[in-house]
Amino acid sequence: MRPTDRRFSGIRVAAGLVLCAWAGLFWFLLASDRTSLYLSGRTAWLVPVGAVLATIAGIGRLASARVPHPEPLGARETWVLGGIVLPVVLLIALPPATLDSFAVRQRSASTGIGSSARIVDGPIDLVDVAAAQAVAEAEQALRARAGERVTLDGFVTQDPGEADRFRLTRFVITCCVADATISSVTVVDAPPGSFATDRWVRVTGPIYPLGGNVFVQAESVRQIEQPADPYLTP
Amino acid sequence: MSTDIEPRAARTSSVPSARTRPPVGWVLITLVGVAIVVRAADPADLPWLRNLMIVFGSLLVEAMPFILLGATVSAAIEVLVPATAFARIALLPRALQLPAAAAAGVAFPVCECGSVPVARRLAAKGLSPGAAVTFMLAAPIVNPVVVASTFVAYRGRDTLWLMVLGRLALGFVVAMTVGWVMGRLHAGELLRARAGSGGAHDGVGDEPRWRRFFGHLAGDMVFMTRFLIVGAALAAAIQTFVPRSMVDGLADLPVISLIAMMGLAFVMSLCSESDAFVAASFTAFGPASQLAFLVFGPMADLKLAALYAGSYRQGFVRTVIVVVGATTLVATLWIQVIWG
Repeated sequence: MRPTDRRFSGIRVAAGLVLCAWAGLFWFLLASDRTSLYLSGRTAWLVPVGAVLATIAGIGRLASARVPHPEPLGARETWVLGGIVLPVVLLIALPPATLDSFAVRQRSASTGIGSSARIVDGPIDLVDVAAAQAVAEAEQALRARAGERVTLDGFVTQDPGEADRFRLTRFVITCCVADATISSVTVVDAPPGSFATDRWVRVTGPIYPLGGNVFVQAESVRQIEQPADPYLTP
Repeated sequence: MSTDIEPRAARTSSVPSARTRPPVGWVLITLVGVAIVVRAADPADLPWLRNLMIVFGSLLVEAMPFILLGATVSAAIEVLVPATAFARIALLPRALQLPAAAAAGVAFPVCECGSVPVARRLAAKGLSPGAAVTFMLAAPIVNPVVVASTFVAYRGRDTLWLMVLGRLALGFVVAMTVGWVMGRLHAGELLRARAGSGGAHDGVGDEPRWRRFFGHLAGDMVFMTRFLIVGAALAAAIQTFVPRSMVDGLADLPVISLIAMMGLAFVMSLCSESDAFVAASFTAFGPASQLAFLVFGPMADLKLAALYAGSYRQGFVRTVIVVVGATTLVATLWIQVIWG
């Protein structure tokens, strides 16, 4: 069969374009630094891998789209392929967003408040707090450092009924946002009513693990921009 | 070509009439319209919608590369490995096939989404359906990456080795049990019809190997992705609207706590490489309940159910859920009796 006897197959071209669209999503995530909105640092490598593989698959499909007897592209198939592209359109069109207090409410009853086997040493962060609330060894290590001055970044989830306290929260993700667990501390002696729910703040002050809760006595509470990596990784 | 989209198209008239002309323009207009509406309405103002889209997006962004990897391996098997290789293995006694298939999962360090297209291809190439299903179910649990992540998640706890070794052992046992149940089926009774894998409709069987490779790769990708999208959407919706507090009150109830954690694993649809961290966070539940979560989830969840439904015949999803659920329940019940 001479190459000139081949014509483009509509179904193959369409499938190739769908794969290229998905490749486009992965390249977009890379170029716009949005990977951290969906994946942890541990699994961020999946995005370049997905970009390269989808690009190769799409181009390969397009390169092999000329056939001796092209198949027509039916109406149903066209809509199905459009449906496969729909998430690509949604994820690119949506403004960047992260989990917030709504997700905290849905997940708050998770009894472990996040988990990690990390042993508390070095500067204390909210991953250490999560570890201390789940692992006895980490809890003892954190308790040994009670009163130590810490600086923690997170978003505000209000403690109802207390004007001078709020919960400072951060999500901990291992692979992707779907596995997010919560780590939080109670901030006391905060400026009353100054910080709205979901506002990102930096709290500095001594830390006190008491029972199952961890408190930070606020020496300063400062509003900050949402960090580039809004989720923590254990 | 191995999508069932492509062959179905081939079965229709070879000359598209004006009436059957593909509505490409309408599809493009719809997609552009959705983009404009989403951008203009800004769903970020609706907390539930924002939460839904973030979880939906994260499930897809994480799972798609694994599907791509699985489809690549699957296409390579199709064009590089002769069918006789698997047919010879299929002649071995099942008592050897199933453990070997489960052990093969050790060498396949991807999550559950990637193992589905590979197992389907193995069965289509002549490996016994029981062995292919055993491999598919075992690989997401027994591979070294998952074992390591379970170790890290439970490091520092008294139950560390119970969780790591228990998950590994139950992964083997449950996968082989399902493989045993499926063992008497033929590939035709297991696999959902997807004509065109050999290029019967447009002569791809005569094409060079690279063309066939990309045909199978693209076919598997397009085919699996639509089911993945459905599963991810369902899982995201449940994560958004069903609070996890619903299971908290069940932690102290024998048997019920096991079923509750299996149900939670089913609807959360987590990657097997991360689920140990989530299981470890349910400290109110004992190790047996957490093990039930860690064994059941990578074999049966919403995302996988959609992929299974697309890949295998009617009844497969039900069989997997029932057999995996019953075996996991019995095994973890013993663990609950002994360790709590």
